[in-house]
Amino acid sequence: MSKRRSLTEAQCVSLAQKLLRERLCHQKLPDRPLALDSQYKHLLELLRRTAVHGESNSVLIVGPRGSGKTMLLGCVLRELMSLKEAQKNVLLVELNGLLQTDDKIALKEITRQLHLENVVGDKVFGSFAENLAFLLEALKKGDKSSSRPVVFVLDEFDLFAHHKNQTLLYNLLDVSQSAQTPVAVLGLTCRLDVLELLEKRVKSRFSHRQIHLFSSLSFAQYVDAVRAQLSLPPDFPDPKFSDAWNHSVTKLCEEKSVEEILRRHFNSSKDFRSLHSLLFLSVSRVSVSHSTLHEADLLEASRLISADSKAIILHGLSILELCLIIAMKHLNDTYDGEPFNFQMVHNEFKKFIQRKSHSIHKFEKPVVMKAFEHLLQLELVRPVDSGVCKVQREYQLMRLMLEHGQVMEALQRYPQCPTDVKQWALSAFA
Amino acid sequence: MSRYITRLRMRRTYKWNGRPVGEDRKLKRQYYESMSISVEGKTEDATVSLGQYILIEGDDDDNPFVAQLLKLYTDDSGKKKTAVLQWFVRMCEVPQNKRKLLGRDPHPQEIFFYQDRSCDNEVDGETILGAVQVGIYVPVQDPFPVGKSRDILFVKLLWDTKSFRALDPELMQPSQSPKSPPPSSRGPQTRALPTPDPSVMKRAMSGILTRGSMSTGKMSSSEAESLHSASKLSAAKALSAKRRSQAVSGPQVRKKLDLCTPATPRTPRHATPSIPSRTAPARKPGNVLEEARARLHVSSVPESLPCREQEFQDIYNFVESKVIDGTGGCMYISGVPGTGKTATVHEVIRSLQQSAEQDEIPHFRFIEINGMKMTDPHQAYVQILQKLTDQKATPDHAAALLEKRFSAPAPKKETVVLLVDELDLLWTRKQNVMYNLFDWPTRRNARLVVLTIANTMDLPERIMINRVASRLGLTRMSFQPYTFKQLQQIITSRLNRVKAFEEDALQLVSRKVAALSGDARRCLDICRRATEICEHSGSQKNSSGLVGMSHVMEALDEMFSSSYISAIRCASVQEQLFLRAVIAEFRRLGLEEATFQQVFVQHQALCRVEGLQPANVSEGLTVCQRLGSCRLLLLEGSRLDLFLRIRLNVSQDDVLYALKAD
Repeated sequence: MSKRRSLTEAQCVSLAQKLLRERLCHQKLPDRPLALDSQYKHLLELLRRTAVHGESNSVLIVGPRGSGKTMLLGCVLRELMSLKEAQKNVLLVELNGLLQTDDKIALKEITRQLHLENVVGDKVFGSFAENLAFLLEALKKGDKSSSRPVVFVLDEFDLFAHHKNQTLLYNLLDVSQSAQTPVAVLGLTCRLDVLELLEKRVKSRFSHRQIHLFSSLSFAQYVDAVRAQLSLPPDFPDPKFSDAWNHSVTKLCEEKSVEEILRRHFNSSKDFRSLHSLLFLSVSRVSVSHSTLHEADLLEASRLISADSKAIILHGLSILELCLIIAMKHLNDTYDGEPFNFQMVHNEFKKFIQRKSHSIHKFEKPVVMKAFEHLLQLELVRPVDSGVCKVQREYQLMRLMLEHGQVMEALQRYPQCPTDVKQWALSAFA
Repeated sequence: MSRYITRLRMRRTYKWNGRPVGEDRKLKRQYYESMSISVEGKTEDATVSLGQYILIEGDDDDNPFVAQLLKLYTDDSGKKKTAVLQWFVRMCEVPQNKRKLLGRDPHPQEIFFYQDRSCDNEVDGETILGAVQVGIYVPVQDPFPVGKSRDILFVKLLWDTKSFRALDPELMQPSQSPKSPPPSSRGPQTRALPTPDPSVMKRAMSGILTRGSMSTGKMSSSEAESLHSASKLSAAKALSAKRRSQAVSGPQVRKKLDLCTPATPRTPRHATPSIPSRTAPARKPGNVLEEARARLHVSSVPESLPCREQEFQDIYNFVESKVIDGTGGCMYISGVPGTGKTATVHEVIRSLQQSAEQDEIPHFRFIEINGMKMTDPHQAYVQILQKLTDQKATPDHAAALLEKRFSAPAPKKETVVLLVDELDLLWTRKQNVMYNLFDWPTRRNARLVVLTIANTMDLPERIMINRVASRLGLTRMSFQPYTFKQLQQIITSRLNRVKAFEEDALQLVSRKVAALSGDARRCLDICRRATEICEHSGSQKNSSGLVGMSHVMEALDEMFSSSYISAIRCASVQEQLFLRAVIAEFRRLGLEEATFQQVFVQHQALCRVEGLQPANVSEGLTVCQRLGSCRLLLLEGSRLDLFLRIRLNVSQDDVLYALKAD
């Protein structure tokens, strides 16, 4: 007990932060995947049969990004490995379509992960063909009851379908459909149309099992999940601190403005990864002097996350550059989105200076050109790809990469924007 | 005849010795008594005469064929020299499964008198390599002499393709060789060896380089092994070096020669990779459903193949007739995936091998290659060669060796049945792989039966050039997709009285699959899934324990229903709104494609209608990309930002249906 007492507030806060960060950055698997019970059971049962009975299987786990495919698989494998029967019997091979970009690399990786390269002594085996024959021979030798089952995890499964002839997929799935070494082929993908990518022979060998991860969470469940994610576990060393923290979290979730923020997030996406980034930002604001989460933290985090990236760039522009943007916006309105060139923008700008401006200094054309090129570098303006490349810079056709609303909003927030510039932007006619 | 020069070959010239001893006017043949073989670079000619034991060039350089020379004749043109032989076989030429009949370990130099009438006993005289010493040991009980030279071969027994028998000494007498001395009834008898040529060759190969070691006949075993496993090239080198040393026979040359022998031991050529075995054996199925599941797995080998009786019979007859006649041929088998093509061929081969086992038909070799299991079409040669002779070679070299093997008239050849699966992947621009595969069976001495399998019926017409398609011939067979009755029968026969399914449930599965594809694999997978579902639900309510309609329906739903609609239903509010905005914009434009900017304007308007705070551009783009990544939308030109082009990957009706329901 004395040890627990000795924890200072600062230690508690840093401990709590560490714990939550681990959780929010996906460094630690949750105890149980959220709202994926049936999928969890299905997958576990499937892998258990491969491990225990030596039954070959193939399955695809399909779900949008951030829906917890890898997390689900991680949880299932963790439980599988804790089974006594499976523990020492299962070999795991993990491949990723982004890393193993062709079958040759994938084969080398499989051989390495199965520790087969030592079988031939110091022989560094060379050609792709040899590798394939070698691996197939190895898998062919095994049989259902005596060899150790191999679990192949293919992350970004759709990318493997782009390999030449889909040789790897064919062979893995063929092994899974014939009396050889028992294998389980697990594919993870976010593409719903992944089966259409498979060649007909490959498709026929695939068992057509798909586990879909679509979250059908209601908002109330979502808020519950947020609360669970932010709460400290019961085995936290300082119970007083954790009680206080959990209480504040519960209260926080009931507040109106927090609910609004969460609702907004829930509306834009239901997946947990974007939620985690929101919570992560707010947890980061907790410090010793500020030891509980406040509504303001969430608000600030939400503001940061949902900020429009281009609006931020607009805030850093000079008045001249802003004027050019407004001129382009007017051109866009006048010509219905047709591309424009620098000369047109300059003319528009000159008209504005002559007629209305009182505060804007009259700029030389090269200065305006320089400002325009800066906008080009920021990619707020982009040249239209055209066949003709030898055009003078002033006459090259451009497009504005900003929405009407973005320009207006930026103007509203721009510090010390001259009134006549604002007026000009608001006026329907240039 | 364009023949590949495959190995470093000694050039030999063959000449008749003396005048012809007899003439057959009817056949226009002239008989000779002996022939001299002069080898390039050697002064002394080797002579082989009737009754002598000779070596005949074969597939294996280390173990040439052995035979006794019975006749030598030439046709009237005088160009073609033919030799009539009595064959002997080495143990390695006896079929693998028959070797145990000997009942003891064969002596490494032991050969067997070969008695088989079906065997061609005439060969081209120019394939003779030279003479060899053969010792005859009758009676059988006598031990083999120890310490004799390795070049002498011993005969004790007779091999008549079915069993080993004691050798009748009468058989060893060449019928019309007046010169050959009568075999003595006791003790080993060795014949004079007029030429050192074959022994020189053998010695060079086995690494005996000096005269002294030859006389003792001993060498360090490690040296022998390293040389034996060394590549052909180094053997050839040693051979030519040996030749040179004979010509010059100076000490300097000998020194050089020693450098040629590789000293480092190589890793074994055929390392055996294998998956480690498990600690405890896999558990056996415990209950009826598990038993059914194991039986329904595609990998489990069924007791019989129902519904393919006709196809089975046709392929069986085709292969059987070719094997019996010792001829060659091609067959093309087509059918959509999962119709049992490969399984049927395997079944045919299995039953043919059984009848070969019982000596109803001659023995044959079965080799299988798969276009999908190789990285390049030319690897086909390598795999065939490796499976045929256990040799490794580069594709070009393998092609040359196979070409030689299938075109050279070799005696005692077994028929080879070659199964080429996924034929379409062996397509190359020049189509030489396919050409060769179909051309070899047409050779007179090839004895090759090629069965090819592919998915499309019109593959020969579509992708093959004329000369390839013509060689493939017209023996075609097409496997129709299974009908629902057949599928039902397949499942029933697989289950084999394990009662796990309701009759209606089976019928539903087979009707559904037959209507979709007729793919038996699909059918089995669905049934397997249905047993799982049944197992899960069975624990809850106490039903019959059989797989019923509802379970099958659920499994079918899982596998065949499109996931798009549920994906849309489970999407977030903004994603759903965005889809609606896409449809609204399509309607406005009257096109099926819009830019992100256009859709975004609609999206904002919809947000306002729904009373939501309008999303900004970054958020809108995120939503759009998320829909794109699961392929509800097709996005083109993601670099273009606002001008990203958007198309729907689902029909508009589906989207509206999915959105309306809730």
